[in-house]
This record gives sequence, C-alpha cells and structure tokens, in this order.
Amino acid sequence: MLTKELIGNIAEATGLSKKSIEHLLSTNNAIMREHLVAGKAVQLQGLGTLEIKERKERTIVHPRTGERTVVPAKSQLVFRAVANLKDELKKS
Amino acid sequence: MTNKLTWTELRRLLAQRAGVSEKEAALFLSTFNNQLIEALKKDKQVKINGLGIFRLQAVAPRKSVNVKTGEQITIEGYNKLVFAPEAGVKEMVANGPSAPEFDELTPLKKLGEQAEEIVDLLADLGQSPKKDTPKEEIPETPAPVIEEPAPAVETPAPKVEIPKKEEPQKEAPKKKKHHFFRDLLITMLILMMLTAGGYYFMRTQIAGLLEKMLEPQQTEVVEQAPEEVVATDTVEVAPAVDTVPMEPIFYEELITIEHIRNGSRLTWISKKYYGDKIYWPYLYDANRDQITNPSDIEVGTPIRVPKLTPEQLDTTIERSRLRLEQLTREAQEACKKK
Repeated sequence: MLTKELIGNIAEATGLSKKSIEHLLSTNNAIMREHLVAGKAVQLQGLGTLEIKERKERTIVHPRTGERTVVPAKSQLVFRAVANLKDELKKS
Repeated sequence: MTNKLTWTELRRLLAQRAGVSEKEAALFLSTFNNQLIEALKKDKQVKINGLGIFRLQAVAPRKSVNVKTGEQITIEGYNKLVFAPEAGVKEMVANGPSAPEFDELTPLKKLGEQAEEIVDLLADLGQSPKKDTPKEEIPETPAPVIEEPAPAVETPAPKVEIPKKEEPQKEAPKKKKHHFFRDLLITMLILMMLTAGGYYFMRTQIAGLLEKMLEPQQTEVVEQAPEEVVATDTVEVAPAVDTVPMEPIFYEELITIEHIRNGSRLTWISKKYYGDKIYWPYLYDANRDQITNPSDIEVGTPIRVPKLTPEQLDTTIERSRLRLEQLTREAQEACKKK
C-alpha cells in the first residue's frame, strides 16, 4: 500500500480531511527523523520501536578471490516490532 | 531525558509542530498505527513517504530435529515484520546528525544559504523570476549582521521582519522542490541503469545471433573474394602454400562429437571449443568425409571436434597460420559446392 492510500484510510477512520492527515504525517515523519538522526529511538505505541543500531567494523572475504576488505562501522535504522504485533502478524 | 522519544513526547511535539490539539495528534497517531497494521495484513507492504517501507516477510516452513528425541519436526512458516528505511533516511542515519536535507529547525544564520539554495534550484528549473533577485539580496544582509551583532538599532529591526515574512513562504516550496529534484534524479539514475543493463543483456545474448548474421556474410564475401585471389594468384601462391603443409593433419584426440542442430554453425562450435570462430576450417578438415558444403550441413550430422594442439591454435606461428589460411581457402572452396 502506498502512502496516499494509507492517508485516505486514516482520513476516513478519523473523519479528518486528507490534507490535514497528510500534513500530520509529514510532520510526524520529520519529528521522527530528527530524533533518529540525533541517535534517539522512537517509540510507536502498539507498533514497536525505531532505533539506531551501531554496526561494528568487520572484514569480509571475497569467496572467489579470497580478497579481504574492511566494511567500515556504521549506524543502521532498525525496527523492532512489539511482541503482541509480532504474534498477531505471524498468522496472517 | 532518556534516549527514547516516547509516545507522549511524540504526541506533544506533533501537536506543537502541526498546530493541532494534543487530542487530535493522539487520534492521528493511534489511527495511524491501527491503519498501518490493517494495511500490513491486507497488502503485506506499506510505504510511508519520508520514512520507509514496512513489509511482512514470509518465512518458509523448515524441517528441524527435536534435540532431545531426535524426532523430525517441521517449524511452521510465519510472517515477520521488517522495516526498510528510505534511501535518504538511511543515509542520514549513517552519516550522523549532520544531515542538511531534512533540517527543519534551520537557525537564522542559515537563511542566507537557504535563499541561495532556492535561487539555485529555481535557476536549474529554468525559471529565474524577478522575485528571486530581491530575495537573494535581502537575506544576504541579515546573515553577516547576525555574526556581528554590534551595529545600530535601526538595522536589525527590518532585518528580523524580512526573514520572518519569507520563512513560511519559502520553506514549503523549498522542501517540495528538493523532493522533486531528488525523485527526478533517482528516476533518471534508475532509467540509466536499466538501459545499461538492457544493453549488456543484448550484447551477451545476441552475440550468438550476430554471429549467425555474420556467417552468411562471410560465405558471401568468400564466394567473391577468393575467386579473384585464386584466379590471379593460382600460379604463385597456391603452389607455395601447397609445399609447406600439404600432408593431411592427423587428429589424435577428440574433445567431443557435436550433432548439428537446426541453425548451428561450424563457427559456433569452433568458438565454443577453441575460443574463436576463426578455427572453423579445422572442423571442416576433420569432417571432410561428412561435409560436402560447410555452409549447408544436414541437421543431425555428427561433427567430430578434434583436440587442437596449442601450436595449431597459435596464429602467430607462421606454419599454423599458413595451414589455417590454406584450410580456410579449401573450406571456402567447398562452400561453393552444392
């Protein structure tokens, strides 16, 4: 599903206009991005947590040439779903 | 403060920033969550612009063994919720806090830069409207003033007014354009990659076909060119060649036997086993008993593919070159037969 449809659905469920929902969603995203970039996790109640994970530096070996390269350390954005949701979605 | 933006904080911030009541923000957030889950169940995938994609990933059932009893068990398949951040977001996170693109709380100092950016963008668009030139000039003045907050009282007052007026007007279009440009760039990149990929595919896949096209040309050319050559040079060249390697080649080892299929060519077989199509006359030579016309071999004819010595394959050696040339001539002669 694309953002537009999701916005439509939310608008229908809340009775607010699509435009205001769009505005809310983009503002929401902006807030989340800011905090994520600053290294803070964002809790989405009922869904899970968006958080930054540090990935350590590691060496990889090219299987054919045996060449070794270093993958530099980096931070990654990961999502951890709430246990309830995980179970709920498992079956669907 | 903890290292987590809680739901309550998010709600409050959202209400502030979007200019709605907290109640409305809460309603939005909870509905957003519910709808997201519903959408996931329905479509298995939800894209949220400016954030990323939530996706339900199916994990296939797998077999395992009960460690205690050694009994075979199947672990049922299930769905896993995964999140893939948008490329821009991913990059921002990887690069740390110094991310300019989504910087909404731009400090006053950056107004000048912003204006410049907008002007650049507009210039890129090919519309350099009259409005922009004054805009460019105006924010440029406050920037230096803020750095040195010493000057007279009269100057700062208008300056504060001007950016305030322009901020709301400009920020919105700026963001949109930014997105527009980024999207355009990305689509262009994807298109370029697709064409490059397609080109590569065509080249590799159709190389065979091309060869097929080339071969008839060769034979045609052959039919004309050698005639002249042979006609004029028979006296001199032909005997000279004859003297060098006229004893028939004895092929000791066979690599394999290929059956001619509809559309196959000696040149293909040559390329397949010897690495180059120029060695096809050797194939003709080794199968003289079966081939009358190399360009018209009956389907199903078994072709012996002899093993060629490295010397025979090396065209830099005079002897091999001459031998190959002679064989080619002979084979081309044979092409004219019916």
